[in-house]
Amino acid sequence: MGGKVTCTLGEVKQRADFIIYWGGNPAECHPRHFTKYTIMQKSRFLPRGRKDRTMVLVDIRETKSAKAADIFLQIRPGKDFELITILRALIKGQPVADEQIAETGLSRAVVDDLIARMKRAKFGCMFFGMGLSMTRGKHMNSAALLCLAAEMNAFTKFVAMPMRGHGNVTGADVIMRWQTGFPFGISFNRGYPRYNPGEFSTVDVLVRGDCDAAFIIGADPGATMPQPAIDHLARIPTIVLDPHVTHTSRIARVHITTAPQGIAAPGTAYRMDELPMPLKPALKSPYPSDEEVVRRINEAIARKPFWLPDGRQPQMVATLG
Amino acid sequence: MSLQVIENATCTFCGCVCDDIQLHHDDMRIHKANHACVLGTAWFLNHTAEKKYPVALVDGREATLDEAIEAAATHLHAADMPLVYGMSNTTCEAQKQCVALADQLGGLLDSHTSL
Ligand code: SF4
Repeated sequence: MGGKVTCTLGEVKQRADFIIYWGGNPAECHPRHFTKYTIMQKSRFLPRGRKDRTMVLVDIRETKSAKAADIFLQIRPGKDFELITILRALIKGQPVADEQIAETGLSRAVVDDLIARMKRAKFGCMFFGMGLSMTRGKHMNSAALLCLAAEMNAFTKFVAMPMRGHGNVTGADVIMRWQTGFPFGISFNRGYPRYNPGEFSTVDVLVRGDCDAAFIIGADPGATMPQPAIDHLARIPTIVLDPHVTHTSRIARVHITTAPQGIAAPGTAYRMDELPMPLKPALKSPYPSDEEVVRRINEAIARKPFWLPDGRQPQMVATLG
Repeated sequence: MSLQVIENATCTFCGCVCDDIQLHHDDMRIHKANHACVLGTAWFLNHTAEKKYPVALVDGREATLDEAIEAAATHLHAADMPLVYGMSNTTCEAQKQCVALADQLGGLLDSHTSL
């Protein structure tokens, strides 16, 4: 997601007086988000803390996060894109029919009030979760919300940020973008990186049976992916690196136990606002780190003859070592 | 035995990546994770330095690290279209090595983000 209108969580903490959570449940999934970065903090610009900030929650059901919100907007499932598009039209004063607004599950009065508040804000921030980016519309929803954030800047300062979960997924995006130019769904089979989610994304590749070996690190597709994908992993040689023997390890040909990041393995992890944080491991693990094992596998492969006519390895972007 | 204390340790369980955790630990386990939330506390306290699992498994049998690395390299090298996937619960340093792996294999590279 390059080019998005965003900021760091530090800026949100200092300045954001209007916060929207869209399709996320921070109270249960990111428990310290409220207290550390968003609504609870007092700052020089918002000295009264919670009283100076307004929080809106947009979701299809009333989660625990609704308790923390000033305004909870319950919308119909699968109507996120419609609502974002209506907001984009209304902020510019374009006409929208009542039926179109009603279809999202909200009334015109509620939507008008939301827009008035958004425009009145000094610094607005929209956090969007998997309820937006993983439901009908998927990345089109995220793209629409990022557009809305950009367009709101005609009236006031507005930004948007994805609520990333799952440990260091943000780091994976950043590292792949840095090394290949693309954040995920990459193929090197022509010797240079190509990007095409849907064709090169893992679930699709596995369900179609397109790969003939799999190297799985820091993930457990055996517990999370659809059954046809798991069946394919069991069919082909699968290699797993994980601190635990996982579901995937049980169907794998090779499992290597590694030290858990941040607890026994040092390194760097990215926060959801793309700030790199150093890890401070407390324990000494009897197992090697992921980094060491992948490096040694890389070295072992580099020693083998390759399929290029002169026996070379096609190393295009990333460097070994 | 008195516990060692690490100030401002980093929790990587969720995307907040809180970097203000105070860890009280001995050689084997973390006993207390001050400032961490319920999820973070569980994450820190559930991992120990015990040797709970074999170092490596190859075809379901225990193996040495060297054997497992060689087996992994052989499988990946023999494949026409290997896939490198995951990279959520690991460090950026390891992620960079994974990009290099997919690159030299001429394979596929993907993360959780595509789900
Ligand atoms: S302490 Fe809680 S909120 Fe902070 S990173 Fe860990 S799991 Fe997330």
